[in-house]
Amino acid sequence: MQRFIPVRRLLSEIKYSLRRQRRFLSQVAQSEVDNNDGFVPKMPSFDYSPPPYTGPSADEILSKRKEYLSPAMFTLYSKPLNIVDGRMQYLFDDKGRRYVDAFGGIATVCCGHCHPDVVEAIVNQTKRLQHSTILYLNHAIADFAEALANKLPGNLKVVFLTNSGTEANELAMMMARLYTGCHDIISLRNAYHGNAAGTMGATAQSNWKFNVIQSGVHHAVNPDPYRGVFGSDGEKYARDVQDLIQFGTSGNIAGFISEAIQGVGGIIELAPGYMPAVYSTIKKAGGLCIADEVQAGFARTGSHFWGFENHGVVPDIVTMAKGIGNGIPLGAVVTTPEIATVLTCRSYFNTFGGNPVCTAAGLAVLKVIEKEKLQENAFVVGTYLKERLTALKDKYDLIGDVRGRGLMLGVELVTDQELKTPAKLETLHVMDQLKETGVLVGKGGIYGNVFRITPPLCFTKEDADFLVDAMDYIMAKM
Amino acid sequence: MAMLQGRILRRTLEEAKARFNFNSNPILPPRASFSTVTSSTSSAAATAASDNVPPQLPPFDYQPKPYDGPSADQILAKRKMFLGPSLFYYYQKPLNIVEGKMQYLYDENGRRYLDAFAGIVTVSCGHCHPEVLNAILEQNKLLQHATTIYLHHAIADFAEALASKMPGNLKVVYFVNSGSEANELAMLMARLYTGNLGMISLRNAYHGGSSSTIGLTALNTWKYPIPEGEIHHVMNPDPFHGAFGADATRYAKEVQDHIEYGTSGKVSGFIAETIQGVGGAVELAPGYLKQVYDIVRKAGGVCIADEVQTGFGRTGSHYWGFETQGVIPDIVTMAKGIGNGLPLGAVVTTPEIASVMAQKIQFNTFGGNPVCSAGGLAVLRVIDKEKRQAHCANVGSHLIGRLRSLQDKHDIIGDVRGRGLMVGVELVTDRKEKTPAKAETAILFEKMRELGVLLGKGGLHGNVFRIKPPMCFTKDDADFLVDALDYAMSKL
Repeated sequence: MQRFIPVRRLLSEIKYSLRRQRRFLSQVAQSEVDNNDGFVPKMPSFDYSPPPYTGPSADEILSKRKEYLSPAMFTLYSKPLNIVDGRMQYLFDDKGRRYVDAFGGIATVCCGHCHPDVVEAIVNQTKRLQHSTILYLNHAIADFAEALANKLPGNLKVVFLTNSGTEANELAMMMARLYTGCHDIISLRNAYHGNAAGTMGATAQSNWKFNVIQSGVHHAVNPDPYRGVFGSDGEKYARDVQDLIQFGTSGNIAGFISEAIQGVGGIIELAPGYMPAVYSTIKKAGGLCIADEVQAGFARTGSHFWGFENHGVVPDIVTMAKGIGNGIPLGAVVTTPEIATVLTCRSYFNTFGGNPVCTAAGLAVLKVIEKEKLQENAFVVGTYLKERLTALKDKYDLIGDVRGRGLMLGVELVTDQELKTPAKLETLHVMDQLKETGVLVGKGGIYGNVFRITPPLCFTKEDADFLVDAMDYIMAKM
Repeated sequence: MAMLQGRILRRTLEEAKARFNFNSNPILPPRASFSTVTSSTSSAAATAASDNVPPQLPPFDYQPKPYDGPSADQILAKRKMFLGPSLFYYYQKPLNIVEGKMQYLYDENGRRYLDAFAGIVTVSCGHCHPEVLNAILEQNKLLQHATTIYLHHAIADFAEALASKMPGNLKVVYFVNSGSEANELAMLMARLYTGNLGMISLRNAYHGGSSSTIGLTALNTWKYPIPEGEIHHVMNPDPFHGAFGADATRYAKEVQDHIEYGTSGKVSGFIAETIQGVGGAVELAPGYLKQVYDIVRKAGGVCIADEVQTGFGRTGSHYWGFETQGVIPDIVTMAKGIGNGLPLGAVVTTPEIASVMAQKIQFNTFGGNPVCSAGGLAVLRVIDKEKRQAHCANVGSHLIGRLRSLQDKHDIIGDVRGRGLMVGVELVTDRKEKTPAKAETAILFEKMRELGVLLGKGGLHGNVFRIKPPMCFTKDDADFLVDALDYAMSKL
């Protein structure tokens, strides 16, 4: 890192001082003058004060975590953050300091932390009946299933409720295998689908895969426009799937599973033209197409409600979690009535799945997304944010790629634009500095060099400006 | 002869009862005068009443809110359309449950039922228990979700409290969202830690509905035709149906044989429920786990105790089911009662086993979220503060006592078993052959609902009543349940 800084710094200083003139004019309302380094970005105002925190300190919590929780449990940041309160797109630490939550609890809090409508639904239902199971009737599950099914195209209208994305994907994979009578499933390199036995097989990044038997999954070449060997040529990548089937399986498979935009993998949008070509191949091999909408679903991509809609396909099975409940433990699988009958040959049961509280929350989320036009907001603010980030990319060689859609954006940092060498240390540094400035982002990609920006969908232009200005401010000082 | 004497006694007491007309006497509680009498007379007395008039629910000072939501028929129609044909339900005419309070549930008409199944052994403290409710509501106002990538005190406090309930070196906690997820994780740990492949579970076990836990589950109704991975199902040490009765040693030898003949000699682990839940409240033959744990450990395997149903004081005699067999497992899984209905599960293990999990990233997005952790901690406090374990022992032994008397009276009851408030009543058409009384169970199940008791059903043949209520269930509730069962059986 030391070698590069002098030359880069000179160039960037020149570029920066030229741009600074322009920035000063357009953003004077947002910034304060800092005598040494230019303009320190200022967080947008927000009319809420969290109650004072009197609980255990960060150090106390950290020591309990070390003693009583998994040794593999990690935290972001060199000095872990004790988050105690949340409101809409902001989080508060134990000192009452506010942060812009640009990660959304991993693309999970879609309406906003403690959104009043969602909280009200949860509170009202919890006071009445938390749990009884589907052995008895309750209107909450039925109303939610109906509302959710109505959001899906084609004949996708039978809903199965689970408690997580992993459970949803496990169920989808099992259904595909049962329906087709075949075992082989194809997923993409760099995918993340879950951490149980079947889904760990579908997940394709070595740092998430333990040394246990994971059978029946084949990983196809990733249609990665930035790093992939075929660039953005979706159809060329699709031929790998065909070869995989022809040479690696009996010719008939159970199915194909993919995220429309890979989340954990670093916000990689599948190359255009890929999904339609692959779906066609899969169908010819008798397989089912599973769309993992755990991160890309629920209006996040802005242009459409579901990630797969951006690719112009209709899957056979759709899985969801994370944003579906604004943070409540809930997952779902939606499929056609035909495929759904496959589970009737035996009994499938999920004790907590479909409980009144989680389904009431799920229904409230769908209503909020519609009422507050969050999809449109994701589109408008997301587009604006991506433009500003792209402008930042032009300014800093450290930024190798800016990609994504709506409020599912990624910024990949590299130390060499041509070789695309991952800038791992720089990413950690910038991420830490962003936190100091008041912005919480996520990290992803197999090299850990991609910022994942997946905030609550109530994120505003001001928040976007603050995020980009903060990044600019930090990178200028590197 | 005993039956004739019983009948005479019954008739005598019947006449006495009629004079008292005790069912409608508000001053004299229905069975107060008989509750301290020996079980045979009290059952006879209760029988006297049951022949004439259906028993009454114990009183309860609570009014449910008026319900103005969709009707049962409307809901059923939507379920059929949007939730798929595989979503089954209880009862010919399914019950629309809209509200719950402690050990009672309310339907759309405001009718109260005794919840003797607790949403499948899940509502441990009681429906909408005020303390648990308060913890959930308070946390919901502050922060629902942020994930463990940031710190939060709720998960740490809960993990500490849970670990303090564990014996031995069991003190590293992983939070997940269900029992299936917990058992999946336990299997992963076992295989990673030992480097061996084969898992052993019991026939008649239930450990989950996900594709891998289906392999551990050993009841064909719940097993889809998918590859299991290397799992061996050993003979069930079932005192009632098992070939060796309650002789634990002979069942344990079976496990030894499985290992010696069916594996490389090394296994990754053994998993069992101490009292099988879905399998019909089958308590493992005494002494079984001690012997099997030895055998499995000698073969390099770890021992996993599935406490999803038996945990948290439900067995009365002990906090954890495995303690009733005098063993200490290497991994313990839990769910259901842990959160009184919150979607929460956990795996507790030793630091040694946990360390192998540190090789790669293992992450659960919702697991350990502030709301579920706060709820879980409140549950632990309630169970301790309200002395629920002792209560389960107390009420449980009363319940089992009364059920055993009922068994003397009705031939259809083949077995009464269990411990604390985890009880099973198996119905047979032939006491010698132990032929499952499937049809009769189904009829009685419906009848009990009509009388106001919601039971559970289990066993491979669906002929076992599972009685596992919220742990605030009282002696009066127990009496009501048994009286109702008596009444229903007499009418069969």
